[in-house]
Amino acid sequence: MKLNVCHLYPDLLNLYGDRGNVMAFKQRCSWRGININLFEVNLGEQINFKEMDFLFLGGGSDREQNLIAADLTQRTRDLKEAIEDGLVVLAICGGYQLLGKYYRTLDGKIISGLELLDFYTEAGLKRFTGNIVIEVILEDNIIQVVGFENHAGRTFLGQIYPLGRVLSGYGNNGKDNKEGVRYKNVFCSYLHGPLLPKNPMLADYLIATALKRRGQSYKLDFLNDSLELAAQKSMLKRLLK
Amino acid sequence: MLALKICPEITGFLARQSRQGVILVSGTNGKTTTNNMLAQIMKKAGYRVVVNYEGANLITGVATALIKAADFKGKLEGDYAILEVDEAALPRIAQEVRPKMVIVTNFFRDQLDRYGEIDKTIAVLCGTLSKLPKTNLILNADDPLVAQFEKRTGLPVMYYGLGKHERVITASSGVKEAKFCPLCGTKLTYAYYHYGQIGNYYCTECGFARPQPWVEGFQVKIGHKTVDCLVSCPKGVVSLNLPVYGLYNLYNALAALTASLNLNLNLTAAISALQSYTPVIGRMERYNFQGKPVFLNLVKNPAGFNEGLAALLEMREKSDVYLAINDLDADGRDISWLWDVDFEKLADKKEYFNIFICTGTRGEEIALRLKYANLPVDKIKICANQKRAVKEVLSGIGKTAFLLTTYTALAPTEKFLMKIAQKERTYEAECVSSIS
Repeated sequence: MKLNVCHLYPDLLNLYGDRGNVMAFKQRCSWRGININLFEVNLGEQINFKEMDFLFLGGGSDREQNLIAADLTQRTRDLKEAIEDGLVVLAICGGYQLLGKYYRTLDGKIISGLELLDFYTEAGLKRFTGNIVIEVILEDNIIQVVGFENHAGRTFLGQIYPLGRVLSGYGNNGKDNKEGVRYKNVFCSYLHGPLLPKNPMLADYLIATALKRRGQSYKLDFLNDSLELAAQKSMLKRLLK
Repeated sequence: MLALKICPEITGFLARQSRQGVILVSGTNGKTTTNNMLAQIMKKAGYRVVVNYEGANLITGVATALIKAADFKGKLEGDYAILEVDEAALPRIAQEVRPKMVIVTNFFRDQLDRYGEIDKTIAVLCGTLSKLPKTNLILNADDPLVAQFEKRTGLPVMYYGLGKHERVITASSGVKEAKFCPLCGTKLTYAYYHYGQIGNYYCTECGFARPQPWVEGFQVKIGHKTVDCLVSCPKGVVSLNLPVYGLYNLYNALAALTASLNLNLNLTAAISALQSYTPVIGRMERYNFQGKPVFLNLVKNPAGFNEGLAALLEMREKSDVYLAINDLDADGRDISWLWDVDFEKLADKKEYFNIFICTGTRGEEIALRLKYANLPVDKIKICANQKRAVKEVLSGIGKTAFLLTTYTALAPTEKFLMKIAQKERTYEAECVSSIS
């Protein structure tokens, strides 16, 4: 078995330990004997999204965000086709915002997004910062997902599902209790932390989904997740009294 | 801080009384050490200096230091006030105290949840400094994020830096904040890196490049607990033997030296003051537990943590390791930066490590990080009780014990350590007190 993993702009979008998500995806595959081909794609470098099985897009500071928006815009059509074809995507924070319609800054400037998904983001005065727990439905399982959020943007969803429901924390906009976005196999979230290491069920769901799309056996071997669950539980215990 | 509420200008009022002026030290890493090294040089040169305590670098801490140093009439006796200031607090403090000199060490990702992104911090800083016409800047030439201050503030600058040496990396895997030119956004080209984004860089587009340092270290030799190098400056070439570990401490010493030369102090006297410097708490302190060397070091961000790990690997003998990670306000509540630390380097040398004891409010998180760095799970142990964790790491079978802690875990760790191990004082130097 082999999966192609694409880490977009690892040079630029490297805030908040985002690379931990790629590490977790990669390690959990390799511990099960699933080979990973990692493609680290930086500005201007070629990549065929259709050949990819998992794509990760992280968050960065404003300067970096502008640089990648320009680069990614040129790849929009390819990315859209791959998404419609079922590519598994995890986009966090700035990477998440970029997939929507636009980002409106505090002084009213509109920064266009890739317009791949039906949502928009507006800058707010206060940053939403802190530990967060959300509830996510993955087919038959309802799981709790923990992380840390730090965003000034308030995201509002159109005709599209959220990733989950906020149990503790702010989420998309601090108002509607929604967190992230879910469309086909695209998972967007404000949770860094990073997200996948501490939430092994979500990580495995992404792996299984990627395997399923390629017609491979998606029943994953059991892993001993006691450290993962210990890290998750210590936060659940703190936030959900 | 009642006094601050009653009299918000108290910081400026007190600081400006120092006869020769106020010196501020800011940046992400090395503030405390640079500050204390400079204070030591000034003190040995016969000046009376007022400094603030380590970590007391927000507005209240700075005010406290000054109030304590003043008499009941609010009169401050001192030639220089040398204050380490948090980069986020610098704009306000600089406006109030109108510093004679500002030293900027480096910029790394640090406690992002408190300040938002680094670019904003730098923009605010440059904006404030550009309005202080009488301030001299002492800047790290090797950090592009710091070197951009000359263009952005228009202030007179004196640079310090390190030349190429045997440990430089040509393709750094470390964390890099600035891969792009801070002035025009083009990708920077590096001849070499020291660590992180610190190195010899240039921009092919706008010509922004590492400035030639006025004070430059070269022929660096990093020993077990010392750093030696030659220093070239307009007054000549001298050798510097620092009784502290690590490249980052050499940077701190070069910053302090440059500042003192800028103030026309004697080169030989400054070097000798630096050579008798005693590290302050948490900066690679050495203890002895039944004959076994024990090291304690503070870690705050990926760059500092990577340097700590480099020191650990440098030991080249079996070690027991204690990692205490807290996520209180002073540590930074967001601990995702642990995933930006290169623990993978430890996995390449598994045989050096007996056990990793993980503790602190986020002990589970650091344990998980080690697992994903490919360290064997049977060498990773979570121990919630810090006192027991300290005991356990000291009684390990390794030849040395290494304790790395975040800010708020440092004091309790030190307390437990003091009870069962002896603190070593290799160098009998006068400690810089808070007020002199």
